[in-house]
Amino acid sequence: MRITIDNDAAKFVVRLADTEMILGQRLCEMCSNGPFLEEDIALSNVALDLIGRAEQLYKIVSEIENKGLSADDYAYRRNEREYFCLKLVEQPNTDFAWTITRSYLHDVYANEVFKQLLKSDIPNLAGLSEKVLIEIRYNLTHARDWMLRLGIGTEESNSRVQGAVDQMFRYVPEIFHWDVVDNKYLSDTAAIEKSWKSEVSALLKEANIKEPELMDVVMRDYREGFHSEFLGHILTEMQFLPRAYPDAKW
Amino acid sequence: MVAIQKNNETQKFWDLLSEVPDPEIPVINLVELGVVRNIELDGQTIIVTVTPTYTGCPAKKLFNDLITEKLNVNGYNNVEIITQLHPVWNTDWLSEETKAKMYKDGISPPTDDNLVITCPHCHSTNTEMVSQFGSTPCQSLYKCLDCLEPFNYFKCHR
Repeated sequence: MRITIDNDAAKFVVRLADTEMILGQRLCEMCSNGPFLEEDIALSNVALDLIGRAEQLYKIVSEIENKGLSADDYAYRRNEREYFCLKLVEQPNTDFAWTITRSYLHDVYANEVFKQLLKSDIPNLAGLSEKVLIEIRYNLTHARDWMLRLGIGTEESNSRVQGAVDQMFRYVPEIFHWDVVDNKYLSDTAAIEKSWKSEVSALLKEANIKEPELMDVVMRDYREGFHSEFLGHILTEMQFLPRAYPDAKW
Repeated sequence: MVAIQKNNETQKFWDLLSEVPDPEIPVINLVELGVVRNIELDGQTIIVTVTPTYTGCPAKKLFNDLITEKLNVNGYNNVEIITQLHPVWNTDWLSEETKAKMYKDGISPPTDDNLVITCPHCHSTNTEMVSQFGSTPCQSLYKCLDCLEPFNYFKCHR
């Protein structure tokens, strides 16, 4: 079955839903693999927020599309090319500094996006945004603390987080490569880019991390369903159970 | 505290749901936690409006099951649960009485913007955060610098 998304509002919301879902899945991989117990619990808590948020966003997609598909169908029955998450959130947990940097860059973005969606006229999205902003701010504090701690910690931690920032910045330019759908549902995309850059620049400076140049967009866009090599593998694991046992119930 | 509409007709359901303990913090019940927002009767059907604490709270589905079960065992079989995210659940919905119960049970209750956190064991305010995240999404982990005991703090959420 190929699941298409036809309505512009649903196309917009599914990008947010997929981004939150895939970052949530990536952080779930850290459960029992955190560097110490409290951090393991922290990353799993953030994962819960992300997946809970994705579920609510998929429900909105499902209501707009009105094709008899559930939130779970959207999460578990679409293939790689039918997914619309940022490439940033697909990047693996190669190093703890990668995990933290990925979350930090995402959280700053999510915070700016949902702030604008407080006035969204897509049904239920404004109310949901009010809810998730409280959670995003909390998670952002966690990520920002770690960026600082790693950046100004030791020579080793600084070089690891510098490597992570250099790596993750390759997946930033496409975020700001807004299309007509983004501009239809976000009130001011230029302001999101501006706020993101000023928050991230200030933090990197404070954390003694060199800010890499943002390259031009060279990869094909996530909005068209193009991804890094990792998404297929993530979906293989994430979707295994509902695909192998389509009628499985909790 | 957002005023909750109760009337004589639904009071007995409020009383019943006040007997359902929170699965993670059993010292308080689901009405005190503020997740039960409204109860209405539509003919024979009891419609309960529930506002979850956190979007990803693992107890979300359990809340609904516990509410349905409580009403069912008391002879009310037609129960419908509506999940409502807005107005957003927040810790201002916890009454002072509810906070006192938590405190007595060893959970430090939420304070405005997490400014002063009191140790529930020795009542000292000389405490520090161990981790922003704790055993449930609504709690974080602290330790007391006077009695040195660790404790859970129910995060201010608003």
